Amino acid sequence: MHYILRRCMTATATLFAVATLIFLLLHIVPGDPAEILLSGGGVAPSPESVEAMRVQLGLDRPLLEQYGSYLARIATGDLGQSFQDGFPIATEIITRLPRTLELVLAATLISVIIGLPAGLAAALKRGGALDGFLSSLASFGLSIPIFVTGTLLILLFSQTLRIVPAGGYVDFLESPAEHVIYLLMPAASIAVGLIPVVFRMVRASILEFLEKEWVRTARAKGLLERTVLIRHVIRNSLSPVVTVLGLHMGTLLGGTVLVEYVFNWPGLSGMLVRAVEQRDYPAVQGIVLVICLLFVLINLAVDLIYGILDPRVRYE
Amino acid sequence: MIKHTTLIFAALFLTTIVLLAVAAPMLPLVDPVKMDILGRMAGPSLAHPLGQDEYGRDVLSRIAFGARASLGVALTGAILAALVGVTLGLVGAYFQGWAEQATMRPLDVILSFPPMLLALLAVTLMGPGVQTLSVILALLFAPTYARVTFGEVLTVRNQEYIEAAKALGHRPTRILARTILPNVAGPILVQFSLVVAAGIVLESGLSFLGLGVVPPTPSWGLMVRGARPFMEANPLGLIWPCVALVLTVFSINRICDAMRDLFDPKASAAVLPVSRLLAGTGIGRSRARPAAPAAFDGTLLDIRHLSTEISTPRGTIRAIDGVSLQVKPGEAVALVGESGSGKSMTGLSVMQLLPRKVGRIADGEVWYASRDGQRTDLAHVPANLFRRFRGREMAMVFQEPMASLNPVYTVGFQLIEALTAHGQMTKRDAWDGARRMLERVGIPDPERRLNEYPHQLSGGMRQRVAIAIALCGDPSLIIADEPTTALDVTIQAQILDLLEEIQAAAGIGLVFITHNLGVVAEIADRVVVMYCGQVIEEGPVDDIFHNPRHPYTRGLLASVPRPEDMAGQHKRLSSIPGTVPSPLALPPGCRFAPRCDHATSACVVAVPELEAVSANQNTRCIRWKEI
Ligand code: SF4
Repeated sequence: MHYILRRCMTATATLFAVATLIFLLLHIVPGDPAEILLSGGGVAPSPESVEAMRVQLGLDRPLLEQYGSYLARIATGDLGQSFQDGFPIATEIITRLPRTLELVLAATLISVIIGLPAGLAAALKRGGALDGFLSSLASFGLSIPIFVTGTLLILLFSQTLRIVPAGGYVDFLESPAEHVIYLLMPAASIAVGLIPVVFRMVRASILEFLEKEWVRTARAKGLLERTVLIRHVIRNSLSPVVTVLGLHMGTLLGGTVLVEYVFNWPGLSGMLVRAVEQRDYPAVQGIVLVICLLFVLINLAVDLIYGILDPRVRYE
Repeated sequence: MIKHTTLIFAALFLTTIVLLAVAAPMLPLVDPVKMDILGRMAGPSLAHPLGQDEYGRDVLSRIAFGARASLGVALTGAILAALVGVTLGLVGAYFQGWAEQATMRPLDVILSFPPMLLALLAVTLMGPGVQTLSVILALLFAPTYARVTFGEVLTVRNQEYIEAAKALGHRPTRILARTILPNVAGPILVQFSLVVAAGIVLESGLSFLGLGVVPPTPSWGLMVRGARPFMEANPLGLIWPCVALVLTVFSINRICDAMRDLFDPKASAAVLPVSRLLAGTGIGRSRARPAAPAAFDGTLLDIRHLSTEISTPRGTIRAIDGVSLQVKPGEAVALVGESGSGKSMTGLSVMQLLPRKVGRIADGEVWYASRDGQRTDLAHVPANLFRRFRGREMAMVFQEPMASLNPVYTVGFQLIEALTAHGQMTKRDAWDGARRMLERVGIPDPERRLNEYPHQLSGGMRQRVAIAIALCGDPSLIIADEPTTALDVTIQAQILDLLEEIQAAAGIGLVFITHNLGVVAEIADRVVVMYCGQVIEEGPVDDIFHNPRHPYTRGLLASVPRPEDMAGQHKRLSSIPGTVPSPLALPPGCRFAPRCDHATSACVVAVPELEAVSANQNTRCIRWKEI
């Protein structure tokens, strides 16, 4: 109980810090924020429009007051209106968020399904040909920028082999099968970068845990080698793997931005890129806040899972 | 092999790309922004070796200038980030306290942002462009440097040379710059390269989104972006920048790995070559299986000329060299020696629990008499059949009870696991059995303890659990490897009593491995003293204590605090001068000679034989009669 409470408090504190940073960024940047936001095309904005923007952003009020009302606003879930069309940002985020989440989840699942057995095999045959091959493959996989993976996947599977569509989205309720087909390539693109991470972590922690004394105890009991592996090596190495996955979620969520763009996936990130292009600051701010919230929540979940996996943490 | 090939390739490729980037303006390349509408998406030609892009621009030239942009941005960003991060890390770690709070905390906030998002946020505010990119990279990666520096400084901070510099009255800045910085330079250099790689990835990603480098400046990300809509007509235009990107990032990463291996050999994944040799030869025995066991003479365990080898990165060592020892049913034999004497390896060899892949029995036999009277040479039982002996016939108790119990399972689970390892039983029976086991080792309130995790128990309690686990299979032989060393003195005595009591009650043969001759008197019937992998003296406990023949045994005895000395409180303990020689460089002749007061020139000629001193005492010293 105590443990959960503490983790929740840390998460809240992080969120608070993130929100503050996002608020401050607008003011740290040298120059008048309103003017900056309006001078996107390289044309100097008219003084009237700058003034209007200042009022719209509330920049005419004292800093502390702005900060206070900003915090109060986001605490109630109000993320403001988009510059482009004036629609409430929160509403659009809520429609798009599940799609991004789905992408991340699918990618994680693929990565674990492939990375875990591969890491295990490499660790058990450490130093062998398979280990060398898989390890090299992993460092290669880590070196491919995610948008390159996506683009090349399209070139191969959509343009050349013509097996899957190059991108797009079909609602699950409309056609579950098509939905999954559209999900496949974006998820795979993310997985290409994530599998090596899982692989390396699994390999390293299996190697570490194989040397643990309790493994020797387990063997000394006369357990089957398979049982020793599953119960006393693999089971224990789950905790570090989960932790690393959690730490990697930040990069992962950032990666979705590019993947969604490449595959035209209508998630949060597509909205984000458009907002950045348009310099729609409230929208950018809102999306970044939500993704950070997600990131913090995922890490909270990871901490809690960690607590389940490792009793020592629970009783700390 | 594959590793070296890729490393050489990485170095060559990276050199080429860097040269290309540096020399791009001087090379006879076509202007990278010059369009040629007629040559749109033309294939490779003499004038355009890599072909032309969707505007007819020369691809090779754009790759070269793109490298300039990518590397330029990444390097600038990485240098900026390094300057900021290293400074913050140094200050934070060196001064600690509030300085640590002021420098490290804000960085943690940055780290809790997904990097790409922070970048996009900055682009919104500052607009796309090369400058924005450099600032973003600096902002994003400064925390990583700070963390690495912080950690490294903390580890070197309290080392002697820093203290020395302080004592000399050097100012903190000077100490930081002159003394600490060179020491943390290695890891930071690795970090630097990683940041350059990450910078290239981020730059190209943002450029790909149209939010990074502003056209017409060429950039690899922009090239991919531009070629994407035309991938059907001109796949090559897409592939070239992709290849350039992937190979560059891969090369940097690969070189980083190599550097890391260099700076931190411990973390390296280097494989011990010997283990591969062994893998091919099975267990790799040097002798054919002996035909028939000698007649059963009432011993439970009969180790004959056992030699065990361990492969280390610096060569194969013989951890045990021709060890022979016998244990009768119900007898307690103490195996005594300093660390590195091979005493633990002897125990692990018997149980076939030597370190995976690197340890192997090289020679000798381990005859074991099973309950059914059958005798087996354990040294030649294949690994997959050995399970039959572990747990049921022989069990082991280890030194560190915390480490030898799995932290994620309850005590009950681990006991039941041992109980059911060799046969099924109902849940209820298993639970009852586990409870009885805890009772037997004297743990109060066993029902509650069964549901607890190892970390909830005290050290002594944990060791009792470990003993209970060993007892689960009702073994005839228990090998206890320093079972009391990790415990408090009072607890030590309790555990010793428990072992003694159990051993006597069940008639179990006990091999008690310890470095402390003092605890031996109480529990052992016979003592075997080991030094550098060899038995150097053995005999009944009284003879060893009152009539030790070997100078080493005498030295060990002299370093044991005796009750009468304790009472006097004044006599200093003598300890044997010198240290155990490295197993990779054993002295010729008697292995104890470098530390022996009685050594003569004769001692270093040949390894002394184990000679009989009396009917049941042997010693390995050529001068035992004289001294
Ligand atoms: S053989 Fe010589 S060196 Fe070795 S213990 Fe005996 S006296 Fe000392």
